[in-house]
Amino acid sequence: MSLKNVLENFSYFRQDAESGGTHKYEHRFGMAIDLDICTGCNSCSTACYAENNLPVVGKERFEKGQAMHWMRIERYWDEQEFEGDFAEQGAKFMPMLCQQCGAATCEPVCPVAATYHTPDGLNAQVYNRCIGSRFCSNNCPFRVRYFNFWSYYEDSWPEPLNMQLNPDLSVRDKGVMEKCTFCIQRIRVAKDTTQREERPLKDGEFLTACAQACPTNAIVFGDTMDPDSNVSKLWMKHQVQRGPFTHKKEKANEELRGYRVFEELNVDPSIMYLERVRDTEV
Amino acid sequence: MSKHRLLAMFKDFDDAFVVVDKIKAKSVSGVAVEDINMMSPIEHPEIDEKLGHRPVNIQYFTLMGAIFGITFGFFFLTSAQASFFLQPQGGKPVVPLPTNFVLMYEMLIFFGIWTTVFAFLGMSKLLRPRGTLYSEKLTVDEIGIVLEVDDDNLDSVKDFFKSNKALEIREEKV
Amino acid sequence: MSQVIQDKIIDEKLEWSRINSDVIASMQAPRKAYWITFAVCVSMLACAIAAEMYQYKMGLGAAALNNPHMWDMYIATFVFWIGMSHAGTLLSAILHIIHAQWRKPIYRFAEAMTTFSLMTAGFFPMIHLGRVWNLYWVLPYVSDRGIWPNFRSPLVWDAFAISTYLSASALFLFIGLIPDMAILRDHTTGWRKKLYGILCLGWRGDDRQWRNFRRTYMLMACFLIPLAISVHSIVSSDFAMSIMPGWHITTFPPYFVAGALYSGCAAIMTLFVCLRYFFRMEAYMTTNIMEKTCKLTFAIAMVWSYLNLVEFAATWYGHNLYDKELLLQKAYGPYAPIFWAMLFCGSVVPFALCFQKLRRHMPSVFVLSIVLQLGMYLERWMIVAPTLSLAHQPHQWDILWGSVIQWAIVFGSFGWFGILFLIFVKVFPCVSMYEVKELCFHLKHEIEEEELEKKHAQQKAGVRQQSGGTVPSGSAGLEGA
Repeated sequence: MSLKNVLENFSYFRQDAESGGTHKYEHRFGMAIDLDICTGCNSCSTACYAENNLPVVGKERFEKGQAMHWMRIERYWDEQEFEGDFAEQGAKFMPMLCQQCGAATCEPVCPVAATYHTPDGLNAQVYNRCIGSRFCSNNCPFRVRYFNFWSYYEDSWPEPLNMQLNPDLSVRDKGVMEKCTFCIQRIRVAKDTTQREERPLKDGEFLTACAQACPTNAIVFGDTMDPDSNVSKLWMKHQVQRGPFTHKKEKANEELRGYRVFEELNVDPSIMYLERVRDTEV
Repeated sequence: MSKHRLLAMFKDFDDAFVVVDKIKAKSVSGVAVEDINMMSPIEHPEIDEKLGHRPVNIQYFTLMGAIFGITFGFFFLTSAQASFFLQPQGGKPVVPLPTNFVLMYEMLIFFGIWTTVFAFLGMSKLLRPRGTLYSEKLTVDEIGIVLEVDDDNLDSVKDFFKSNKALEIREEKV
Repeated sequence: MSQVIQDKIIDEKLEWSRINSDVIASMQAPRKAYWITFAVCVSMLACAIAAEMYQYKMGLGAAALNNPHMWDMYIATFVFWIGMSHAGTLLSAILHIIHAQWRKPIYRFAEAMTTFSLMTAGFFPMIHLGRVWNLYWVLPYVSDRGIWPNFRSPLVWDAFAISTYLSASALFLFIGLIPDMAILRDHTTGWRKKLYGILCLGWRGDDRQWRNFRRTYMLMACFLIPLAISVHSIVSSDFAMSIMPGWHITTFPPYFVAGALYSGCAAIMTLFVCLRYFFRMEAYMTTNIMEKTCKLTFAIAMVWSYLNLVEFAATWYGHNLYDKELLLQKAYGPYAPIFWAMLFCGSVVPFALCFQKLRRHMPSVFVLSIVLQLGMYLERWMIVAPTLSLAHQPHQWDILWGSVIQWAIVFGSFGWFGILFLIFVKVFPCVSMYEVKELCFHLKHEIEEEELEKKHAQQKAGVRQQSGGTVPSGSAGLEGA
């Protein structure tokens, strides 16, 4: 709290995302998810449960909408295909997880600054600081923030299942918000290793649990700031860029399948989806 | 020379104003209209007209409180945010002025109101003993006039009150 | 009798000593009905406390919230109570500034209502927190870790605005009470005398005190009006500052302020009727004052309806995919019954207030005011719930109705408000004695002047040999509103 600091750096403190911002990013982790090769097998979701100590809430609570799947497979049908009950076939899958937005709407509404932006371009949630006002979740257009409505840990891992909990991160108690972290514990380990070995982070040196578990390699994870990474190449190939929603793609080119969900809301998501292409006659 | 304080009670404002007018016309020796302290159950705008201009200075305190509130608000918020710029959030700058204006506005009102209240407590001489020279009828419907007079004039003032429809006269030594 | 005398808001010939004794009598010896109401309120509060204890222990899952519905009835009720707190300020401060005399007999209980409904509203953001024991993190206290609350968040603005408004409205109520405390100090005995002796702060009623008092009161009224408007604008920011369809609406701040004044006026009407009958205040809370209150409520109801239409029109012509779909879903989807009930209660029912017979008939006013408040509660719920149900992400669409725990806490909040209000009316005067005296005093003078003028006019008419000399009707001071 020093007045001198304010007066000297005032113009710096006034920079917003459009004018460059105040972030000094080391990495900006991102993803490219190819919906064309996603089979909706849910192994990403399962891997996420195992990696991130997600509680299994049981059927009853799941039906109430209190599930904790950071990574969920959303299923959509076209209206004509969807008759009566769930159609036998024709479901379209969409793995939905936290988009780690560059200008995240969840951040400015948190009253206690429990959610903030890391130098890795992540949208971090500080469990210890969270007071559970749940405004962040209400302001998330993707609805990918999950709240600990109960003390799930009490009955999610009956003995001896508690032995499989990941020791690298905490088990959350009731009353805090949580969400996908891009497996921040793995990022931490990788960054520590590179620091120790005094070398830059290699692409593919570590993967998130979902990317690792995907049997069809639909999820590509990497640093979008590194131009040589697979994910950057994919983003460039499909002409999707970071930053505010200003650029236009070549409309005519059918090869360009990349888009970001709710890009028009100007939240700068870090995940690019590749459109599904299907010949419906088949 | 010792002084006495007198309290004369009147039936209504009309009777009391007759007395004030007479004192104003200097028909009573030893008392001036500036010394009159008028007690009433309600606030009557004519009291001020009769007694002459007596200033009220609360609004200056209010102004100072409000100005303090808004400047303090600005510097408090900006310096707090500047030392906590770990989390420039949602693409917004470290010091987002539009949102700070909201809080500065609240602080303006907060400090404005509290200084007004404290100024009121001080300026109207509340929070101190009421004194014995008081009648409970003052909170029903009677009007009181309080005067401080020298002992020399005590009897003449008392007579003046009595001849002008005073219902009751109380006195105390100062 | 001329127009003025028929329309006068109170009988100016009331003895001042009778005003004192009437009000003091209303504060003493609670009757059986009082204790029954009090017991009902306490048991309502007990329900809420039990529900809250369960929820505190189990987590917010007990309130049956789920992923899209992170907020529900708690926030709707919070907005409802905050809204209710605005009418006291309106009636007291705005009408004070524009010198509407008819506020004087009824503003005291309206201000008490303001303070108590704020005290009720303040609980809801706390109850709805996941970790309420860390509530103080919202306050900007200096910590050696250099951690501050996030001043960008509308929830922090809420904390600032509500604490400012609560302290300001409580001070306003208290300052207005000081001369009455002095009256009570002089005319009561026992513990009351001691209590009022402390609370009146040594008020003597001399000219210096009255002068400063008037200035202070006016200054505070001037602060309270923008404050009240800012408070509800900030509450609306909880929604308007988000990017959710149905929340991110430019007209939300005025819409919330109008809604707040509306529900508050309806609440004043309810309490007016209750006090009039249970405390036998017919001489002070007259039908003429009720009529003016009803007219004011009607005017605000129309403003509210207009802002509703503006919101719909803006959404419709804005043609935003999400916003428009949500609006259609409100009108035709699962929330349709509530939506139309809200519009019926909020925009159609107030037209009943156009009829003078209804305005002067206390039981119908009572029923009407309850219906209006119901409409306003539904409005708050229609703001919070449908947006959460049907936001951007279709996968997370879900309809949710409040659970038992939520209902118990909402229900209990009325009990809490009732307890505070019932204690208030027995400990403090619910009619401002000194201001009723002022009102009678000025009214008397105006009527005297009027009669003088009348005599004058008649004399002139007699001189001119004309019949039917007109009497000037309606002097400015009386027709305040």
